[in-house]
Amino acid sequence: MASKNKKFIQKANVQTQRRTLSLVIVCGIAAFLVMAVHLYNIQIVKHDFYEQHAIEQQLRQTTISASRGTIYDSNMKVLAMSASVETVFISPAELKMYNENPEFIARGLSDILGVDYNSIMEKWKDTGSWYKTIARKIEQDTADKVRDFKNKNNLKSIHLEVDTKRYYPYGTLASQILGFVGTDNYGLEGIEAKYDDYLQGTSGRIVRATTANGTSMLYTKFEDYVDAANGNDVVLTIDSNIQYYLEKHIQQAIADYSIKNGGMGIVMNVKTGAILGMASIENYDPNNYQKISDKAQEKLNGLTGEDYLKKLAEAQISQRRNRCISDTYEPGSTFKSFTLAIALEEGLVNDKSTFYCGGTVAVPGRDTPVHCWKSAGHGSQTLAEAVQHSCNVAFVNIGLMIGAEKFYDYMEAFGFFEKTKIDLYGEGQSLWWDKDVFEDRENKSQLAAASFGQTFNITPLQLITGISCLANGGKLMKPYIVSKVIDKNNNIVMANEPTVVRQVISAETSKKVCEILETVVNGGESTGANAYVAGYRIAGKTATSEKIGQGSDDYIVSFVGFAPANDPEIAVLVILDTPDPASGIYISGGIMAAPAVGRIFADSLPYLGIDPIYSEDELSSRNITVPSVKNMSVADAKSALEGSGFSVRVIGSGGSVTDQVPAANVSVISGTEVIIYAGEAKPEAMVYVPNLYGKTYSQAKNTLEAAGLYLRTTGVAPSASSSTIVVSAQSLSSGSQVAYGTVIEVTLVESDTSIMETRG
Amino acid sequence: MARYGEYYARTLEAEKNLSADDYTEDNKRKKKRTQGEIDLPFLMITMIILGIGLIMLLSASFARAYYESGNPTKYFVKQVFFSALGIFAMMVISRLNVNFISRFSFLLLGASLLLLAAVPFIGMDEGGARRWINLGITTFQPSELAKIAVILSFATLSCRFKEKMKTFKYGVLPFAVILGIIVGLLMLEPHISASIIILAIGAVMMYLGGTRLKWFVMLGIIAAAGGFLVLTKFGYAIDRIKIWKDPFSDPLGDGFQIIQSLYAIGSGGLLGVGLGQSRQKYMYLPEEHNDYIFSVVCEELGYIGAMLVLILFALLIIRGYWIALHAKDRYSMMVAAGTTTLLFLQVFLNVAVVTNLIPCTGISMPFFSYGGSALVLQLAEMGIILGISREIPIKRAG
Repeated sequence: MASKNKKFIQKANVQTQRRTLSLVIVCGIAAFLVMAVHLYNIQIVKHDFYEQHAIEQQLRQTTISASRGTIYDSNMKVLAMSASVETVFISPAELKMYNENPEFIARGLSDILGVDYNSIMEKWKDTGSWYKTIARKIEQDTADKVRDFKNKNNLKSIHLEVDTKRYYPYGTLASQILGFVGTDNYGLEGIEAKYDDYLQGTSGRIVRATTANGTSMLYTKFEDYVDAANGNDVVLTIDSNIQYYLEKHIQQAIADYSIKNGGMGIVMNVKTGAILGMASIENYDPNNYQKISDKAQEKLNGLTGEDYLKKLAEAQISQRRNRCISDTYEPGSTFKSFTLAIALEEGLVNDKSTFYCGGTVAVPGRDTPVHCWKSAGHGSQTLAEAVQHSCNVAFVNIGLMIGAEKFYDYMEAFGFFEKTKIDLYGEGQSLWWDKDVFEDRENKSQLAAASFGQTFNITPLQLITGISCLANGGKLMKPYIVSKVIDKNNNIVMANEPTVVRQVISAETSKKVCEILETVVNGGESTGANAYVAGYRIAGKTATSEKIGQGSDDYIVSFVGFAPANDPEIAVLVILDTPDPASGIYISGGIMAAPAVGRIFADSLPYLGIDPIYSEDELSSRNITVPSVKNMSVADAKSALEGSGFSVRVIGSGGSVTDQVPAANVSVISGTEVIIYAGEAKPEAMVYVPNLYGKTYSQAKNTLEAAGLYLRTTGVAPSASSSTIVVSAQSLSSGSQVAYGTVIEVTLVESDTSIMETRG
Repeated sequence: MARYGEYYARTLEAEKNLSADDYTEDNKRKKKRTQGEIDLPFLMITMIILGIGLIMLLSASFARAYYESGNPTKYFVKQVFFSALGIFAMMVISRLNVNFISRFSFLLLGASLLLLAAVPFIGMDEGGARRWINLGITTFQPSELAKIAVILSFATLSCRFKEKMKTFKYGVLPFAVILGIIVGLLMLEPHISASIIILAIGAVMMYLGGTRLKWFVMLGIIAAAGGFLVLTKFGYAIDRIKIWKDPFSDPLGDGFQIIQSLYAIGSGGLLGVGLGQSRQKYMYLPEEHNDYIFSVVCEELGYIGAMLVLILFALLIIRGYWIALHAKDRYSMMVAAGTTTLLFLQVFLNVAVVTNLIPCTGISMPFFSYGGSALVLQLAEMGIILGISREIPIKRAG
């Protein structure tokens, strides 16, 4: 038994021992070799494959938008700037990964952002995507609400991304010049587009390893920064004040004269070619560049579907158009300035030249004679009078004296055949006859028409550039709108210097042209009288031209002027497109555009530091500020007021002044009678404003005085004798109730249509 | 082989008069005489692996711990505590005579069965399965206890059945019944990975105990047939196989875990991304401090580091078998070899799963994975082997 046991144990032990040894081989060696080979395969052989995939999921690349440069006006006022906003996006892939509730998130985002719930639900369906934009460029406070929602509910599939938004603090001001940027921060129009390379900067990026939740890894700092290079700032030659004056007065003219197709205007520094203001009305707000004006929207009412979208797109494109450089028009009589300059430069005419106008002039090659706008004719005129009258017959004769070849060469020299190369996109191409057609010896009709500015097309910018050349001593300047590009440390990156393209006419001729054009405004019975500004020497020329290819009722009226005439600084052009004849107002550049230019000068010249110099006549009829005489002794007050050019009436018997009418610091026309109260109370009664429209200066003054009101004038110089200088507007409408002694400002215009050039 | 055979024949001379049933009394008598030094290499390798395991647990867990609770060392501190507890248990158990422990074999088995039967009712629900009993300070898987119970009880049975192990009635049936009951209870939880390990360790114990190989062949055929049936009839299993063959067929769904693990292992390359520098542990890897901790080891320490860890495990396992081969009696030999094999199975299956060598299932990495009760039990198991190593008869010089 023992022996059997022993034998068994021995045998069993050997078996167990053998089987243990087999386990050593299988479990201790073979299996580990299998693992070693398998790991080698994954870690060494397929290393690159797995590493690349791992890195792809671990690395998040975040773009750092470069801060887009600011656009400044010439006084470093901000016209366009960028601010940080945020973009909200969702990640359907992460929604699935973390098993989050799409309805809940869609509801939450829809509530906060006002985005359509169903559109968010639709975006969740692309489960492979990590990036579906929900709302772009939202303000910081809204972004914070989204962040709260995300954090409070610990949502991993909502993300926020820093972005920038463009702000235009002045809204519509200079909108076509500034342009706007698209959602991807690229400039699409105007300066934003033209100077995009400077403004854009280079966006940087952060590459960083993140946890599956998208947050930074602890201690494992794997980050790579490429700094964003911020965009440079662009400084414009535009002066926002002048731009404002320009836009305001064009808008006023459009309203006053029922202009159907809007207006354009440019203010240029004649010596440098710098654009100080440039406007096309209607304009738009680049903060919301898709929105069209209410007026344009009205026209779309009732349209649906594709028709609506098409018209909407047309309206958007139209309001974004910088018509001053893109559109061409028939300049009309303003162009006579060039004919005049050429003739003077060539020595063909002088002060002693006389021109007879019998109403028509025959032109070789033309079946019918050219008519003067005044069919009765202007009779015999001096050169200056021919310009003042804007006499077509005289200018056809001057043109014929110059000859087609010479005229054509000058046109080329004034730059009318080529683009001005201003630093903006979209400059239009002028429309001219071919050289051989224009120089046809048998047919001078082209030359005749060109002499008074008709049947060809140029851009408004080309016209004012040429006018500046006439005004500045004969140098054709290259117009420019950006003065410099600067970096954040104010280092100049790029600067535009005034560039002389060529000398076209001599300084002497320029001087003579200035003198003659000044008489168009100051010369008594002349077409440009309404551009007059007291204290300033304004030179200019009117135009009323028929729109080519349009019905005979469609006109473009314009006025181009420059000042001071003895040493011109700025030129102003205002073009009004298609006054509505139904308004009953006499359609003429002198009636409609000249007052607007006058007002622009009246605002701009003092602003630019050009002091008015008043003539004797002007001194007696200008507006002066009433000094404060309250609490002075009656004698002192009297002498102070009389010294300022007022007459004085004293009411009451006190020793010192208790009140005065008009109130201190208002400006009224000189010679006004100021009432001072010495102890006696000022009447508290309210008075009605009388209707002054159409009244002459004297009538208006008397009417107001009778009502206990005071007068201040603007527009052409007040003249007690003229019966054609009348009130065209008053600052407070008739019938309104005002306090006794209130000052009413009236606009005076020259209303003599017999001297105001028109067409047809 | 032959040399070991001779050696054993000689060392077992001392016990020539003892039957298996007499071991206990005999050892009690010889205790003072035979209890020698514990096996230092086995202890050292265990401690080195435990040390590396703790460091890697800290590295692997701090990200999730931080994001979950703000305390990056939350898991690590707990694990250190249980390591200390486990080392204490290991040292106490290493002092116990293995034959003393064997007295508790069936008690342990019975307790395991009771707990397993109770788990579906009192266990913590985790993703539809109940595998854990909450002990307050830590959680505990009765299946872990069942594993060591199977080793001890199967060894006891084998030594009792002696040559009858060659028959089906003794050599297969009782074991199969016990395994059947355990696996049946595990299926109630359900717990597939524990079932696989218990079946495997049961088979290994039967193999060591002397069950004839033909039964293994037959069992193998039955298992293969059953496996085929399961794979073709149950969609769940088919999906697993599909993902195993091509994890990229559903990268954001079922393939996500294994893809993330492969990304981690693959990005490690030869030298790894550096200790603590794993990027995959940042919420990409699921269970990165648990089942997938070895992926972090591979990512941070590279092929070299991973192989170093595996070589340490191989050395520990070989040393475990060495102790078994030198054990003073057959029972000790079976327990040591079985416990060592259990360790091997856990290591191998874990590495095989995280490297997509076999279809995905949840098996933790001994000494590395986070888990208090499992770590204490593993160290206790090492204690049993160390206890056996103490009693290796001192080989006379020459």
